[in-house]
Amino acid sequence: MRILGCLDGTNAEQIGRAAQMFNATPPPAFGLLTVIDIGPREDIDRMRGRFLRAPMRHQPVTREMLAAEEAAAQDILSAGLACVQGAETLVRQGRPELEIVNAAAEWKADVILICPSAQYGEPPQLGPRFMGHIARFVLDHAPCPVLLVRQLAREQFPIER
Amino acid sequence: MFLFFPLPEFWRTILTSFVALVTLAGIMTRPFRWSEARIAVGGAGALLVLGLIRPADAALTLLRDWNTFLFFLGMMGLSAMAEAAGLFDWLAVQAARLAHKSAARLFLNVFLLGSAISMIFSNDATALILTPVVYVLVTRLRLPVLPYLFACTFIADTASFLLPISNPINIIVMSRYPLGLWTFLRLLFLPSLVAITLNIGIFYLLYRSQLKGTFDIGRLPTVEKAVKHKPYFRYTLWVLAVVAPSYVIAAAFQFPLSVISVAGALLLMAGALFWKRTTLMEAGKAISWPIFGFIAGMFVVVRAIEVTGLTIKLGNLLLRLSGGTSFGAVMVGTFGSALGTNLINNVPMAVVMNSSLSSVQQAAPAIRNGFVAATMFGCDLGPNLTTVGSLATILWLLILRQRDVEVSGLDYFKVGVLVTPVMLFAGALTIWLLL
Repeated sequence: MRILGCLDGTNAEQIGRAAQMFNATPPPAFGLLTVIDIGPREDIDRMRGRFLRAPMRHQPVTREMLAAEEAAAQDILSAGLACVQGAETLVRQGRPELEIVNAAAEWKADVILICPSAQYGEPPQLGPRFMGHIARFVLDHAPCPVLLVRQLAREQFPIER
Repeated sequence: MFLFFPLPEFWRTILTSFVALVTLAGIMTRPFRWSEARIAVGGAGALLVLGLIRPADAALTLLRDWNTFLFFLGMMGLSAMAEAAGLFDWLAVQAARLAHKSAARLFLNVFLLGSAISMIFSNDATALILTPVVYVLVTRLRLPVLPYLFACTFIADTASFLLPISNPINIIVMSRYPLGLWTFLRLLFLPSLVAITLNIGIFYLLYRSQLKGTFDIGRLPTVEKAVKHKPYFRYTLWVLAVVAPSYVIAAAFQFPLSVISVAGALLLMAGALFWKRTTLMEAGKAISWPIFGFIAGMFVVVRAIEVTGLTIKLGNLLLRLSGGTSFGAVMVGTFGSALGTNLINNVPMAVVMNSSLSSVQQAAPAIRNGFVAATMFGCDLGPNLTTVGSLATILWLLILRQRDVEVSGLDYFKVGVLVTPVMLFAGALTIWLLL
């Protein structure tokens, strides 16, 4: 069994805990994926177009941007490896939702572990906006079962009947 | 290949309008990925070849607007040389240090820094230089990137009417309708503060859940690393300390601001060449030369329409729509300009409005000033509606969205639609109250 955990920079522990649930024999092969989102760079390029300027790739600051992205990706993977030891690491660049499903297909993942959205503050309230667009896309388009890993929210229950 | 045969006035107007419309449509849609500059120059060339504008008239139009061309040159040069000194990196690191590890305070600092940079260097510097710097900073700090990028891109325009030099559009409008510094500040400084406050407030509400965390200050680069060359950096600070008040003094005495910006850029370039921080070739590359073709083309195209009397008709229409009241003038000027900037670029819109406003010069001072201030306000702030491009770009992004893929450019649009009309209305109301 091969299980793919999707790291977003905030969920290494959650993915780690979920991974421990899979005590299969033979032991599953874990992969940890992080995607460098190229959306912001595309936006900056579009904005440069509005100001009639050439795309970013011609600018010296682009090197710094790429280095920062690479460093952040390595940082995220290190945090993931600390929680899921011995996992294979994968780095992709592009639109996160597309890269996750494509990487899962290429890596021949049997299960994808993903969190509803990156969590920078308090956990979000359960409800229709609970799941981010990336998790939504992966659920809809994944080539294999998807395990949505989220924090316990027992205090938000019972939901009014 | 001029048209040597006389053309009736009616057909002349039709032909001129057709060329102008094709040019504007080309700028909106950019067929074959042609640059806006090529399209604008092509439109101007077509008018000249067809004899719809006299070469002497076109040349005179361009010469009359020398201040605008020089200001663009000085503004780009000044920003590029300050960037070479590492000023923007240094400011971003300081903003992060002053945030004391709080993501929310850093968000506020990015807004304040963006406002200050727009005020002194113009909105271009904030949007084009500060944005990537902030992107690198927040990526290193492992903070959510989008709220900070939105803050940079929006504040670039929101803070672009604090001073006349904060946006080249102000220079274009004020070259034709000079406002004293006091009148400019009286009419636009407070609305600018209102818009900035609304921008910050609404963004805090929108992104509050992503701004609750803290960041590790240890991930920040040291100040020494941000400053690329200490002597040149110090020299840059000294030059800017002279340039900033010079701008204010020049604006107060209605002295051409382009002279200050070009002088400042030349001083910085001299320092950069002395300390080998740049070469003439690199400095030349930092300037976007097609902009001059674009502006020149638009000036000629709009001048040709002006000769036909169409822009006067547009001005009269605006005056009628305003109902002859100062409130109407401000609202029509603001929302008309804002809508136009999202259809075509804000530079052509400002030039069109400039030409149209000649018909409101006979109106009462409150209406006249209302239209002029509202034109600058609408053309400066309006682009926030479709920050990453014109409405045509947004339509294209909407088509991409059909494929279920999240298109981040649309996030800008969603936020822009929410925040820009509020800022436009509140700002316009403030202008009207200050008339």
